[in-house]
Amino acid sequence: MDTAPPREYTVNGAGLRSAPAVPLARALSRRHPPLLQRSIRYHRPRAPFCGVGFCTGCLVRVNGIPNVRACTYEPRSGDRIRTENAWPSSRFDLLGLLDVIFPHGIDTLHGFRRPRMVVPWYHRVVRQLAGYGKLPTPGPAATPPPGELVDRPVVIVGAGRTGRWVGEQLNARGVRALLLDRRAPTQPEPALEIRSRTTVAFLPPPAGTTGRRFRLVATQPGSSALMVRAESVVVASGGYDTSLLFPGNDRPGVLTADGTLALSGDHGAPPFTHAVVVGGGQRAAAMLDRFGEAVDAVVAPGAIEPQVTARATNLGVPLYPRTIIARANGHRRVRSVLLASRGRGASFEVPVDAVVLAHRRLPNNQLLFQAGARMSWRSIPGGYYPELDPAGRTSVPGLFAYGTVAGGAGAPADASTLAECVVTNAGPWPDPSPSIVEEMPNELDGYYREFLDRPRGRGKTIACACEDVLLEEVEEASRAGFRGIEVVKRYTSLGTGLCQGRYCLPDALLLLAILEGRTPPEVGYIRQRPPVVPVTLGALAELPEPAPESAA
Amino acid sequence: MNVPSRREYRTVIVGAGIVGLFTAYHLLRAGAGPVLVLDRGFLSSGASGRNGGGVRQQWETRATVRLAREAVAAYRRFGADFGYNIWFRQGGYLFLGGTDADMARLRKVNEVVRSEGLDARLLDPAGVIRIAPELNPTGIAGGAFLPTDGTLYPFPAVWGVYEAVRRLGGEVVLGLEARGVRTDAGRVVGVTTDAGEVTTGHVVNAAGGWSAEFAARAGLSVPNVASRHEILATEPLKPFLDPMIVRLGDGLYFSQTMRGEIVGGLSLPHPPGTEGGMPTSPEFLRAFARAMVGLVPALRHLGVLRAWSGFYDDTPDGLPVIGEDPRLPGFVQANGFGGHGFMLAPATTLRVARSVLGEPTDLDPALFSPGRFRTPGGPRPAEGLQLG
Repeated sequence: MDTAPPREYTVNGAGLRSAPAVPLARALSRRHPPLLQRSIRYHRPRAPFCGVGFCTGCLVRVNGIPNVRACTYEPRSGDRIRTENAWPSSRFDLLGLLDVIFPHGIDTLHGFRRPRMVVPWYHRVVRQLAGYGKLPTPGPAATPPPGELVDRPVVIVGAGRTGRWVGEQLNARGVRALLLDRRAPTQPEPALEIRSRTTVAFLPPPAGTTGRRFRLVATQPGSSALMVRAESVVVASGGYDTSLLFPGNDRPGVLTADGTLALSGDHGAPPFTHAVVVGGGQRAAAMLDRFGEAVDAVVAPGAIEPQVTARATNLGVPLYPRTIIARANGHRRVRSVLLASRGRGASFEVPVDAVVLAHRRLPNNQLLFQAGARMSWRSIPGGYYPELDPAGRTSVPGLFAYGTVAGGAGAPADASTLAECVVTNAGPWPDPSPSIVEEMPNELDGYYREFLDRPRGRGKTIACACEDVLLEEVEEASRAGFRGIEVVKRYTSLGTGLCQGRYCLPDALLLLAILEGRTPPEVGYIRQRPPVVPVTLGALAELPEPAPESAA
Repeated sequence: MNVPSRREYRTVIVGAGIVGLFTAYHLLRAGAGPVLVLDRGFLSSGASGRNGGGVRQQWETRATVRLAREAVAAYRRFGADFGYNIWFRQGGYLFLGGTDADMARLRKVNEVVRSEGLDARLLDPAGVIRIAPELNPTGIAGGAFLPTDGTLYPFPAVWGVYEAVRRLGGEVVLGLEARGVRTDAGRVVGVTTDAGEVTTGHVVNAAGGWSAEFAARAGLSVPNVASRHEILATEPLKPFLDPMIVRLGDGLYFSQTMRGEIVGGLSLPHPPGTEGGMPTSPEFLRAFARAMVGLVPALRHLGVLRAWSGFYDDTPDGLPVIGEDPRLPGFVQANGFGGHGFMLAPATTLRVARSVLGEPTDLDPALFSPGRFRTPGGPRPAEGLQLG
């Protein structure tokens, strides 16, 4: 790999080179995340936020194909890459004026109705503003490779630490499982069959009585789609760092811990020089371990754990427990954050160029929802987890969950129990008892109550970055009597963008619980619509034809 | 919560979709309150929140063309009347024919539509491509186009009528199921719900895909059959497509919304009935993608964002059921819209409301009445253009 030549390509016409297997966003990150994108409604500057291929912070056009995520796309020599949805450039975008002219947002639900003679013109203008990229204009179409059909007794979704343990335990019992992982390949593991860069996008509930129980649809960027038939599926899809609500929470430089790691690579420098890390637990500690030199403060919505305090003290980093992030200042990148101690403390400003969100790690539970597993709410960290028996069986026969997504640490001993159960598959499928719901309230509950009571000052608080939905719009929907996440989703379009709600629903649930005066599980959850990540029509068209099977 | 505030209503409407809500609106406007609308789901949980937003006036039956023309006029006024912008955009409906039989059908539709004074056009393949240049001309024998057809956002239409109903004093109770209908001396006297019984003289069955189920709870057997249809939305693109496109043959339809997403579906056979719920199938994703990639090759690189499904409420003759059921006085049917309830709702519900009030309507009983299925010989298939 070291001897492989660098990749040479152009970005908006300017020549660029980077090492092979380096994602574009990382190649473009110097001391700051690259400003690649303008948001869909207000053309606010956006940079990579999640870093793992879900959010809309880094969409670019590659060789005529729109909406390619720079955070996961590894450029090839000769690529022509252009930014989209901005004129003349993503740094200086004329339509960015919309953000200034409409400080409280554009009400497309009630506005643009009068005078009636002008309505068709509104339609024309507003329609032109919609959408990210333009129609694809790819070169001469190569015949797409046919989709692949694979049949395995066991599929493991996620080849991280815990997924591999399960794979090894199955190996020891003479069952070779197929592991699917959405990330680029890491160290080779000859004993395991791992397919990297393969994202399971659709896991329908088990069908029929003949043949394999499950049919998974997976997408492989730049390649064909994959359909896998399997008798058992182990979901070990891990977790992700989620968002936080505050004015300016979408500014370039506000990014998740996942995003920070992705833009830094295994050994590289972080995309900032002076960051505030948000969070008081294990993830914040990991950020200090890796990027401590570039961290200026640790801020937590609630308490800060000793593991973080110890590290911060060693590094001389000040700690701000029980502190509200009142605003991120700056336009094209973060210049400072405004903090305030909870309990009506005075606010103070800290000059930083990044806000690293490491306060709340949630399970990648979308496939479990899709497959119909019974899920229950855990107030800490505030997310839905599958109901499981001790062996890791969900309520769906043949479907297991393990590791972070199952809400456990994922101990090797448990992998052994789970593997034994997968292999023997003995006896009737048990009905897992509901997990014990912790009684402690989520620390963000009190945090958001205070946050909502405070004057918010200038600046938009983005409740859903993909669709540019403002916190004010969610509050307005609630005030108007639209209750429940399913209805608020449809009313505001929150959660209907490219990230499929990963980065807006967790906060929206807590928020609506406060606004509606009930618990998050009463606010409900959206139905997890397939696919989990966008899958191209071309890939779907080439899906292998499944053998006829009795309908679900 | 979730409990009606009164014990007695003049009318109880089952189903808070666009049909139920619009019916309540017309009744309240006529001063015929109090009205209660019940729905066991949330607002827009049924077909009113699951359809593709198409509104067309091209039909085989003249009566439907007239209703549709009225509906288009109402949707044009919607923003002014209801305070919500439904983004009704008249980009036209472009039907594609692939065979001589398709073209014969489109010609027949075109004659009816033109004779009603609408500017419908028949197109040769070149004319089709002029309207939608992104289409692959292979396999297109011609088309039919009506520029005043269009698309809208279903959700704000539901919000708007919902708020108007409540403003006019109507009551909408969500998350409450109507369990049955109480009768006395052969006519409706009440509705039983999970929150007890309410007294009423009129029940409107606007339960969409579940209308046969609710009719059965009133002891009435109806020929309505729920059929599941799947639909999907893609990533948003800058606008490139003005009309809604519908292809005869495989029933492929799609349009580009104001948000830039391509929203569309395709007719796939599914087992009838509502028992299987509303899942998405890999077969649909594959079939829709194959059809789209064939018709608009550039979209091969476009990502599908989400797929969902919903129920059409189909009738044997392809026409809705509107009016009081002759077997049970006080029980008014407003269903069987076969996937077109939303586009016709402002017009059809005016007739439903009149039926509730006991007033005559201009609807031909042979085409729309609940009793038509039990006349000797039964109804003949009347409306064949069941797509999009």
